[in-house]
Amino acid sequence: MLKFQEITKVFKTDLIAQPFTALNDVSFEIPHGSMVGFLGANGAGKTTSLKIIMDFIRADKGRVEFDSSMGKNKIEVFKKIGFLPERPYFYPNLTGTEFLMFMGRLSELPREQIKKQVAVWAPRFKIEHALERPLKTYSKGMLQRVGFLATIIHEPELIILDEPLSGLDPIGRKELKDVIVEVHRAGKTVFFSSHIVSDIEEICDRVIFLKEGKLVYDGAVDSLMNSGKQNDYLIKFRSVGNISLSAPHHNWQHFPGNLNVITVNEAAKSAALQELVGGGVEITGVELIKPSLEEIFYKIRTQ
Amino acid sequence: MNILEKILIVAKYTLKEILKSKVLYITLVIGVALMIVTYVATEFTYGVPEKVSLDFGLGMLSLSSIGISIFMGATLLPNEIDSRTVYMVISRPVPRWVFITGKVVGLIGVLAVNFAILSTMTLACTYLLGGQIDQTIIMAILFTLLECILLLLLVVFFSLFTNNILSSSISVVILLLGHAVQETQQTTFVQNRELLGKILSFYHLVLPGFYKLNLKDFVIYNQSIEASYLWGSFIYGATYSAFLFLMIIYLFNKKNLD
Repeated sequence: MLKFQEITKVFKTDLIAQPFTALNDVSFEIPHGSMVGFLGANGAGKTTSLKIIMDFIRADKGRVEFDSSMGKNKIEVFKKIGFLPERPYFYPNLTGTEFLMFMGRLSELPREQIKKQVAVWAPRFKIEHALERPLKTYSKGMLQRVGFLATIIHEPELIILDEPLSGLDPIGRKELKDVIVEVHRAGKTVFFSSHIVSDIEEICDRVIFLKEGKLVYDGAVDSLMNSGKQNDYLIKFRSVGNISLSAPHHNWQHFPGNLNVITVNEAAKSAALQELVGGGVEITGVELIKPSLEEIFYKIRTQ
Repeated sequence: MNILEKILIVAKYTLKEILKSKVLYITLVIGVALMIVTYVATEFTYGVPEKVSLDFGLGMLSLSSIGISIFMGATLLPNEIDSRTVYMVISRPVPRWVFITGKVVGLIGVLAVNFAILSTMTLACTYLLGGQIDQTIIMAILFTLLECILLLLLVVFFSLFTNNILSSSISVVILLLGHAVQETQQTTFVQNRELLGKILSFYHLVLPGFYKLNLKDFVIYNQSIEASYLWGSFIYGATYSAFLFLMIIYLFNKKNLD
């Protein structure tokens, strides 16, 4: 659906300052129908990449290509894109209805269809009570939701979101994530940037990871998770007296209620379990240690 | 949907947004001041209260419109980029030139509203005080509007590559010089200095001569204006505005919106 090919972008702030390379030969693809998370710390180049995709700024090298199914020229392609910038403020004196009508009309929707779309989505976003109020009276979360409604009002094929969940409270985040998943299930391609790893782990099937303007990872979330897997297990058990264990283990932790937790590797797992059972302890759980995407992200970021 | 329709949609919501803000409160304040001055003029001037009222009305119309042009022109694009609203618009099937054209048309609409209110009040006060509303007054008002459109485009042009303060300041300087350049060229001081004369001639050639659009002196001194002068000034103002507008479109198409 979208190919981001060998893009380099250098910013020159002034004549004296050293040029800053925001993106260095970055390439990735967004396949049709996928839900792709765009991960990276602040300043990694995520927003710059999205601005280049949307042609707000031009790359110094490389090109952005859209699938022929998206259209032959920029106008046709942009009819099928919904874009939500990071922390938008919109037009403070327009009401929610006026703003949505403005955005819908620019997307070439008839007035009646805009009204229908607003009637469907406004209750989902819990903004229907505020639609006749000026946008300057909206909270940050409400602005984000009205912005998302404007982004999907024309039912675009490709939805590009820049930090859509930032600034939302936990309930607002959950509700917006649910809608993103819903539009993705309806066949839309979603590409969204975030520096909150758990959001991407929760809803994306693919992840693109930038670090200091360079591509670090592009692939399935599962593969990234498996790459960080150490094949260590946690064994949880209860024991009344002192107990010793000869099987290799590490990180023995004691908790109230005679609860113990040890970490063993896969090779030592069976031997450790047999020894513990033979020693008369009650095994309460055995689980594979699975690092979160957050931990993998942190590990890669600090490497 | 055709391009013209999209331009009008952008213009409509730009106009709506500004009319709902408090920018035009200044127009109402000036309108009230105009009525007070008119009242005072009837009490304290001998024989020519309608002239005082007309002079004050045209002056205020010009000043408020210049203020609005500079303020709106300087903040138009920086505000759109800072609030990221420009991204919401041009991420839709809207070419950049359509966006900027719609924005400029919307701002001209705001100027037109300001003109409609203040010129109606000025003309009404003059008429009520027994003054004549002739073609020269109407022309003076229309040419002031053209002057403000030219100024607006000049500020928007500078705002494409400088900040708010610089674009406003440069435009004010050019406006003042543009009104003074012709008279300055005719002074003995300039005529005795060849280099200075050449610099002013070059300035005259390149930067806008706002004095050509100022017909207020004709109104104040009751002078008639030749049609050829009117046409010449109009074509000058319109051509300069069109040139600036094309430059704005060209630069905005090239601009990195970050």
